[in-house]
Amino acid sequence: MRERWTDHRARSLATLLVVLMTAMVPAGAVQSQDKKPIVIAVPVGLSGVNSVVAPAVVQSGELAVEEINAKGGVLGRKLQLVPLDDESGPAGAVKAFNTAIHQHKADTIITMETSAARNAGAPIAERAKTLFIYTSFYEGRACGKTLFVNAWVPEQVVPPLVKFMTDEKKVKKWFAVGSDYAFGRGMIEAAKNTIKGAGGTILGEEYQPLQQSDWTAIISKIRAANPDGIIYSTSGGGPNIDFMKQFKAAGLKMPVGSLSIDELTAEAGGNAAEGVYYTGDYFTGLDNPENKKFLDAMKKKFGAGLKTPNSLSEPEYDGVYAYAMAVEKAGTTDVDKLVQTLPTIVFKGPRGQVQMNKQHHAPLPVYLAQVQADGKTKVLKSFGLVDPGNQCPNLK
Amino acid sequence: MFTTQLLDVVTTAGVLYIVALGLLIVYGVLKIINLAHGAFLAVGAYAGVVTTRLGWNPWTALLLAFVIGVALAALVEWRILRGLYERPLDTILATWGLNIIVVQLITLYFGREIHFAESPIGRAVTVSGVTYSEYRLVLLALAVVLGVVVWLVMQQTQIGIVARAVIMNEELAQALGINTRLVRFVTFCLGAGLAALAGTLLTPLISVHPNLGVPWLISAFMLVLVAGVSLANLALAALVLGGAQVLVSSYGNPVLGSLTIVILAVIILRFRTITI
Repeated sequence: MRERWTDHRARSLATLLVVLMTAMVPAGAVQSQDKKPIVIAVPVGLSGVNSVVAPAVVQSGELAVEEINAKGGVLGRKLQLVPLDDESGPAGAVKAFNTAIHQHKADTIITMETSAARNAGAPIAERAKTLFIYTSFYEGRACGKTLFVNAWVPEQVVPPLVKFMTDEKKVKKWFAVGSDYAFGRGMIEAAKNTIKGAGGTILGEEYQPLQQSDWTAIISKIRAANPDGIIYSTSGGGPNIDFMKQFKAAGLKMPVGSLSIDELTAEAGGNAAEGVYYTGDYFTGLDNPENKKFLDAMKKKFGAGLKTPNSLSEPEYDGVYAYAMAVEKAGTTDVDKLVQTLPTIVFKGPRGQVQMNKQHHAPLPVYLAQVQADGKTKVLKSFGLVDPGNQCPNLK
Repeated sequence: MFTTQLLDVVTTAGVLYIVALGLLIVYGVLKIINLAHGAFLAVGAYAGVVTTRLGWNPWTALLLAFVIGVALAALVEWRILRGLYERPLDTILATWGLNIIVVQLITLYFGREIHFAESPIGRAVTVSGVTYSEYRLVLLALAVVLGVVVWLVMQQTQIGIVARAVIMNEELAQALGINTRLVRFVTFCLGAGLAALAGTLLTPLISVHPNLGVPWLISAFMLVLVAGVSLANLALAALVLGGAQVLVSSYGNPVLGSLTIVILAVIILRFRTITI
């Protein structure tokens, strides 16, 4: 009897709860519809080969989101950044893109990834009709209806470097060196075309396996060929320093142009890369008010935990801003509308003026820099806006 | 060109010899392949990073590396390996696991990015009309010195004689009252110390990152397989395999060159019976 009474009481309580909850649902739903944040997913290599740079990418995105939200967000809605781990590769990217789209209901994906990860993720974003802004420099010619790129392709950084070395450093006879993988070979291929166009000759071309860190044989070949200058493109990070250390120690002194070094690597290498010329769209030393403001805000927000912004991480900041401006202008997060609006958006950020109006790619401000004796990078000059060329002829 | 290539061959052999020496000693006495060899190389390289940060003379990194290598090895031998000598296959798992643990610990503290270690010598010198990296020549000299010192220890000292007895016939040595446990302990520590030393010596050539030891471990492993337990054989193997790698890279290309050590090792093993 007692048990049945309890049972009965519990049941009515449950009914009451259900009624109450049902009554609350419409009000809650309306509220969340209104203030539901715009979700920006960032699948990035938090583990694997990209894990050195990934935290800086996330920080750039966090700053952009914080700044935009501080000004009231977009269309009265807040932005929300969701970093995900793509494990720096295609398998992880598939998982991360699916999680972003189906679990987090991401409105857009704005991220820097390896090419393999991008190639795996982009079709998923395209099928789900999710706008994807890719913020990593890459080998070029990745095209998709919903895919936009705001970082450089070889056509934008290779010719300025080769032309500078040809004109100013009087390099006519070249030696080309690369790591034996697709990006390294692609960059050298682009360099060779420019060199031939500028009337230069290529005395030799050598590729080193990725895992091999002893450059002795190649350095001896360079010495035997005795070129006026070197153009090289290793895989990112360490191999740049391996090559330059051994190049210097061998007593070779001709000018070197690098297609693979970056500020962090040059600095970590101490004096190893001193004198190396390279081009890029972002350097911490860029002397413009937007960059100063960006760097100060980054230092203030992250303090001692700041990962130095670099050419792979800064475009994430630009990407978030470009997306927010496009949503504001279009008045919606609808993808079809945004695909039309995004190419009209001009964002003047730390790199300079960026507009993704060339077949979903962006003409970019390109600069020449040189590594100094302490490993720091000094910006020498600006080439102005450099066009990406025909990346996706089938897109507007 | 000829002088350069000759120097390339002998200095490459010197580097390989330095890198493989610790692995060979451990293999000779303990009859295990220490797959944590690459991690000990990394430990040595980071000793260079630490001394650079502290502003010490780059050469002091050698001492620091050796001490840390020996200390780490002592701990590992005492707590882990000692119980596994009866199960040689399990030592492969244990040492590879140790490799992963050490590399991850380094990653946790220093991060995955590359680090800078000051080079004691970055100059080039002129040898019979050829400008060549002075540091590579110093490495060659150090390889010879290390080789001679280890050889003298094995031939002339009590510990060397005991170690050779253990290499030749462990049961007999034990029956004669030799403390084989101590011999194993000292040898493992010495081998790991030499590996750490080699890691420091590599830093002027390569960038420092947690996984820097892996490609060197593979080359060293091949050399030791071919050389067996003889120091002279190791020098010969380093000269033949390293030389072949340089020549194939020079006359062919570095992609083929990187296969040379592995292919030659397989061919040599096919025609040569290993006697331990």
